[in-house]
Amino acid sequence: MPDQAAPAFAGVLVGFARELRAAGLTTGTGDVLAYCSAMTPLDPSDLVDLYWAGRATLVRRHEDIAVYDRVFRRYFLDEGAPAARELLLPASAVAHAEAALVMPGAEQEPPGEEERPVLGWMASDVDALKHRSFAACTPAELAALRRIMARIRLTPPRRRTRRTKPAASGRAPDLRKTIRESMRMHGEPAELFFRRRKTRLRPLILVLDISGSMADYSRHLLQFAYSARRAATRVEVFCFGTRLTRITRALEHRLPDAALAQAAQAVVDWDGGTRIGQSLDTFVRRWGRNGLCRGGVVVICSDGLDRGDPEVLATAMERLSRLCYRIVWLNPHKGDNADFRPSTLGMMVAAPHIDLLLSGHDLASLEQLAQMLPALT
Amino acid sequence: MDYPGTVSELTDGLRQGGYLADRGLATTLLVSLSLHRPVLLEGEVGVGKTEVAKTLAGVYGRKLIRLQCYEGIDTSQALYEWDYARQMLAIRALSERQLADDQAVDKLFGPKFLLQRPLLEAVQAGEQAVLLIDEIDRADDEFEAFLLEVLSDFQISIPEIGTITAPSRPAVILTSNRTRELHDALRRRCLYHWIGYPTAERETQIVLVREPAAAEQLTRKVVRAVHRLRELDLAKPPGVAETIDWVRTLGFLGETELTAQAADDTLGAVIKDRDDLELVRENLAEITSGA
Repeated sequence: MPDQAAPAFAGVLVGFARELRAAGLTTGTGDVLAYCSAMTPLDPSDLVDLYWAGRATLVRRHEDIAVYDRVFRRYFLDEGAPAARELLLPASAVAHAEAALVMPGAEQEPPGEEERPVLGWMASDVDALKHRSFAACTPAELAALRRIMARIRLTPPRRRTRRTKPAASGRAPDLRKTIRESMRMHGEPAELFFRRRKTRLRPLILVLDISGSMADYSRHLLQFAYSARRAATRVEVFCFGTRLTRITRALEHRLPDAALAQAAQAVVDWDGGTRIGQSLDTFVRRWGRNGLCRGGVVVICSDGLDRGDPEVLATAMERLSRLCYRIVWLNPHKGDNADFRPSTLGMMVAAPHIDLLLSGHDLASLEQLAQMLPALT
Repeated sequence: MDYPGTVSELTDGLRQGGYLADRGLATTLLVSLSLHRPVLLEGEVGVGKTEVAKTLAGVYGRKLIRLQCYEGIDTSQALYEWDYARQMLAIRALSERQLADDQAVDKLFGPKFLLQRPLLEAVQAGEQAVLLIDEIDRADDEFEAFLLEVLSDFQISIPEIGTITAPSRPAVILTSNRTRELHDALRRRCLYHWIGYPTAERETQIVLVREPAAAEQLTRKVVRAVHRLRELDLAKPPGVAETIDWVRTLGFLGETELTAQAADDTLGAVIKDRDDLELVRENLAEITSGA
């Protein structure tokens, strides 16, 4: 590449990064710089190199790869693509890249990844979905939210970690400090210092049922999840109706309105049917297996009205109970009824694996949860 | 041996070391080596994330320094530790007069009593090392924050000695199995690459490169069966490592055909979960049939 072409080339890359940003990726100026310098050892006229260098420098997480692919295609490959015009790419280069890049596109999607059809559906037929709008909480709701946040601190039980801290007494001697102090005494270890294992909060995982039968509660549950997310350190939030959605990242917004709106956007099956078994199974396979809930407390909020196969639910619950520390089930139908017996098939199947069954239908019951959580053993 | 300057040279080099890297991985590695930026590798279990670092070090004559992460890993296991027992002995051996001397104390906190752990070792080795930070997602986030500091400057401050700066940057490869969301700050410092399952054709090549003794015919059949296994709804789908294991197991038993019986006998090499075993056994004939 001749030197005078360099600014134009950099301009193309910057333009590409801007497109990515518009598509929702977080691409900083530093990343674009890295992208430009990454092209130095590579061939800038080779679109395949452009593709891979960009994917290495501009993409941060697996979920973003699909977006990247789409933008790359639009920007570099499609007919009348801005970059092709700018860089005066011959048609043969584009054809070559098309041929070479079909592979990565097809390869990165392992079979069994369920996201693909879901996303496709979202993009093509938005109207078919019931997105619930949380864009505006009423003032009363906001007040309620503040009240929950002020009153309820969800503190999961603690566990011992492998990290240690200085302690007045303990089993393991603090050699570093003992030696250091003994320097003053001419090497005589006059006093022994100790270290002790630290404790930290167990992770908390909320799995919320937002299907039709829970419609009256789902909104509150989401608000509850939001406040929990802000209160404790390690909280993961999932929603399910007919399929499972992880909304942890969506809830990561300082403003409750924005966070709830993002979460509502992420969920595609509001007020639909319920497939608890299927959803929990997905949870166990995709997240639980990877260690997301290992040693953690899983709180499931659902009425247990399952349309799916009870066998699937039983297996999923059994697996889940082996993976996590404790399972708490909030069933709004329990209400204040102390001798509530689960009547739905789903609840009966799940019951043997539940460590604590609470109601969670109003603020008081959530407070009860918060109260019982730290002492859960 | 210097690192190569082009993607194809790097791919060839890795192939000689018995690792088949696709274009994307090779490009990412090349860029990382020339820009001196760490690479973050994510992907399914058993697709060769750790193996890349080992091969890279082996082929280009670098020292592989591996830091295996686990929950609660801290600086004394990752960075350095003083050899307290020896320090204590040394103090006891010093006479009163020697102790009054400043130099004696300086010596006590000198390189002689410093136990190097992987990160310090890598900083001192500079580009002579390939630093593999394995399963970073297992370490807790406090460690991640600390790692960030090391990875950005490649210098380590030891209060008693001073700051140690890397003469040149080592190649750094981080792997993650995505059990935990990594901080964006760490991601931003790294180049990112996702390793997925390879195509059947490629996987056959990989197995043949790793197991030159394996019969090609049998390998093809095993790979086809494994691909069918991945399509099943398994809790833990087999990775490339399992494919290689399976071929090796069959070879060891002297099997030349992947019959339903042979597959059943050796299923433990690919399927590591009881529920999965049951599911696979039900469909065993179908899985091995086309093979």
